[in-house]
Amino acid sequence: MNAEGPTNKSEGGIDTAAKLGLPGTGSSSPSAPIGDWKITFSGMEKKILSTVVALVLIMIAFGYLTNGIFFEPRNLSNLLRQTSINGILAVGMTWVILLGGVDLSVGSVTALVGVIIAIAQSSWGWGTTGFVSEIFLTFLLAIGSGILVGAFNAAWIAGLNIHSFVITFGMMVIARGLGLILSKGSTIALPRESSLIDLGAGYIGNQATAIILFTSAILYIAYTLWDERKGRSQKSRTPTWRVIAKIAGVSVVTIALYYVCSSYQGLPTPVLIFGFIALLGSWILARTRFGRYIYAVGGNTEAARLAGIPVKKVIFLVFASMGTLAGVAGTILTARLASAAPTAGANFELDAIASVVIGGTSLKGGKGSVYGSIIGALIISSLNNGLNLLNVSEFYQMPLKGAIVIMAVAIDSIVEKRKDI
Amino acid sequence: MADRFLFDKGQLEMRGISMQFPGVKALNEVNFAARPGEILALMGENGAGKSTLMKILSGVIPYPDYSGKIVIDGQESRFHSTKEARNHGVAIIHQELNLFPEMSVSENMFLTMEPLQVKLLGIIDERARDRQARRWLRDIGIEIDVRQPLKDLSVGNQQLVEILRALATNANILIFDEPTSALSLTESETLFRILGQLKAKGHTIIYISHRMEEVFRLADRIVILRDGQTVGGGSKSELTPEQIISLMVGRSVSELYPKRSPQLGPEAFRVENLNVKARDSHSPAIRNVSFTVKSGEILGVAGLVGSGRTELISAIFGAISRKRVNMQIWVNGKKTHIYSPLDAIDRGVALVTEDRKLTGLVLDRSVEENLTLAALPRISPFNVVDRHLSQSLVKEYTQKLRIKAPNPGVEVRTLSGGNQQKIVLAKWLAIGPRVLFLDEPTRGIDVGARQEIYSLIDLLANQGVAVIMVSSDLPEVLGMSDRVLVMREGAVAGILDRNEATQDSVMKLAAGFKPSASSSTSAPMETHS
Repeated sequence: MNAEGPTNKSEGGIDTAAKLGLPGTGSSSPSAPIGDWKITFSGMEKKILSTVVALVLIMIAFGYLTNGIFFEPRNLSNLLRQTSINGILAVGMTWVILLGGVDLSVGSVTALVGVIIAIAQSSWGWGTTGFVSEIFLTFLLAIGSGILVGAFNAAWIAGLNIHSFVITFGMMVIARGLGLILSKGSTIALPRESSLIDLGAGYIGNQATAIILFTSAILYIAYTLWDERKGRSQKSRTPTWRVIAKIAGVSVVTIALYYVCSSYQGLPTPVLIFGFIALLGSWILARTRFGRYIYAVGGNTEAARLAGIPVKKVIFLVFASMGTLAGVAGTILTARLASAAPTAGANFELDAIASVVIGGTSLKGGKGSVYGSIIGALIISSLNNGLNLLNVSEFYQMPLKGAIVIMAVAIDSIVEKRKDI
Repeated sequence: MADRFLFDKGQLEMRGISMQFPGVKALNEVNFAARPGEILALMGENGAGKSTLMKILSGVIPYPDYSGKIVIDGQESRFHSTKEARNHGVAIIHQELNLFPEMSVSENMFLTMEPLQVKLLGIIDERARDRQARRWLRDIGIEIDVRQPLKDLSVGNQQLVEILRALATNANILIFDEPTSALSLTESETLFRILGQLKAKGHTIIYISHRMEEVFRLADRIVILRDGQTVGGGSKSELTPEQIISLMVGRSVSELYPKRSPQLGPEAFRVENLNVKARDSHSPAIRNVSFTVKSGEILGVAGLVGSGRTELISAIFGAISRKRVNMQIWVNGKKTHIYSPLDAIDRGVALVTEDRKLTGLVLDRSVEENLTLAALPRISPFNVVDRHLSQSLVKEYTQKLRIKAPNPGVEVRTLSGGNQQKIVLAKWLAIGPRVLFLDEPTRGIDVGARQEIYSLIDLLANQGVAVIMVSSDLPEVLGMSDRVLVMREGAVAGILDRNEATQDSVMKLAAGFKPSASSSTSAPMETHS
């Protein structure tokens, strides 16, 4: 329908490169049809930026309404901790939704994994026999169970080409039932002395926080610079403004994180795990062949298959990864509450999906990013946190959150529509 | 080339139509008129504004979005919706059919205007509807079961349903947007016959097409658009194809097809005893197909729609389930097997598929991601994509193929058909193929881009690539190929040398006439059905 729509050359991009007089890559060969590398943001980047703006506005509003309580380090630290579980699930859910699928089972699987490790810790003695079993073995058990469930989902979805909605809906009910069977319907407490509890409720001391945050930031900046140098020798540089923006962004986030955490006991352990998973998840998506395959399969399965992409394998790995992350989320949830309830994790799948959608990932697949979903997750937990601070009842919170999801998607679709006539 | 058609008092007149897209003037003071009982051809390259103009006429683009006047039967009418346009007798037959595959023929024809039994409740009188549908079909001399689901019809017949649907709304201004692009020759003939009938009945027909032959055969008058402006026009007798092309392109275009002087090398590809089982009534079975292609050779594959051309090359490429395919393959003289597209790619065999939107491109992704998709394993050591290798690959091919895109990050959806097609080609060239299969490489793209693609194919062959080109466009097959393989009903009807291949000889083989002396097969592997 739109084959003849003219290409909007500027694409709404901000042409600051010319204003700043920054050299553009590739301008050396004016004959090159793809030549001008001005400051432009891709559609996705614009989406993420607008989500960041929304997040900042929401935070400022709550800061104002709560007379600054919202911005107290203690509250921000809690906010980050509250984001971790949903954030981890949202990373996996981004991959799944990019494939054009959905995973409804993550909430129940989170609970099931929680029940399994709580039984291991309380009945098999894993919770009282030292660090190795308390954390390491437990973690392996959780991830193993998660992978198993994920692989089960994946086998049906990839093998028989059934839509993930149906399979994961079935698994949602199965996992919930298994959790209830295993726990006999009651909450299982972790042994008090289990060091697993630290994983959910603890902090990494200020010193460790500083070391971890700053080394990662420095390594990242070093990698960026090295990468850009390497590119220059191959005559395909990243535009300078991009490099500068990246370094500035990483520095600001790191310093802000350090300031918040060091003012209140240090980095919460779940936040460290979430950060690691978020970076890994977005790096795989953006930089690896597997990541590009996810986009291609989600965008056009048939074209992907004909380009030699192992479509079934990609689908399998994505759903198996989602199961793994549900395992991680289950561990953190159980650790944080020091107990596992078979009914926990209700609506976790919906929060994860909402984060992904708010973050600008298309439910049709093929378009979106992990960064967007992380911002989406932060928006959701900011709303939860801020509204709680304001003593707004849960009854009122629910319709409000629903309305925000609808609004985010509506705005997005209005903007999209404008672009194509 | 007097603009005298501007002053014709016609049934339809569009005056001073202008439209602004963000940053681009899509239409600039376009004027034209069409009379009842004539076929007006609208020509122009992709992006010239033909489709935009027709979207305005048919109400797809609502009124305040453009400026100018539309006068129908002396009455000024500007449409705010497609419904309004329909009420004024304007209907458009789209390039992509807008029908419902699961619904029956008659349901499709009368959707939203079904004869009702109980008006108030909207209960459909199915018998009356089917009766009316049968009458319409009889009128144009076509026999189709009106109860069968639309998806069981051939593309040509589906299009006829769409035309009848337009007629059922009492449309008298009918717009055809590249109606033959997906039709076989016989289907096109049927369409032309029906167009003649409609014209005789006094309908006004606006016909958009890239195909010069068709236009000269059908049209009474021709209007040419370029860059959103009317750049010329006149009655058919006043114009020559060369004039039209230079008006469309804005410069004179020399020979459309490159002069081939093939340098044949050793055998690059051989397939023997290729058999494909039919999956359903729609996919023809392929029986005992064998052929060889030399390095540096272009083998054209002709045949009617449904003769199994696409299935043939899909099977070779490993894109059809292994269970249905049986064949022996040699690549560069070595016996090998191809069970999947990945196998094919590993052996340097590439397939540029027929429908770039359906099977060629990931439309929502960038130029870079699409272009490097098949070559990713080569540019991602340890599975990590080397962005610099990726970008230099993109640079290389966008320059070589003259792909016009604002930057490598833009979604391919936003590019013109010609540029999209070049990206599909580039994706496959990036793997460095030795055997290149092309399925309808120039469908739906304009003359300028076509010429570029032809010379690129020629260049590739000269560099030693073996090219197998499937096409429904017979002049294209004849213009490009060193040999022509003609398919009929899933088997090879004959293989013709360049000097034996004519419209006539190819059509005879394709349609299944007894081969005359001039069209004897000269292929190493002679086959019969």
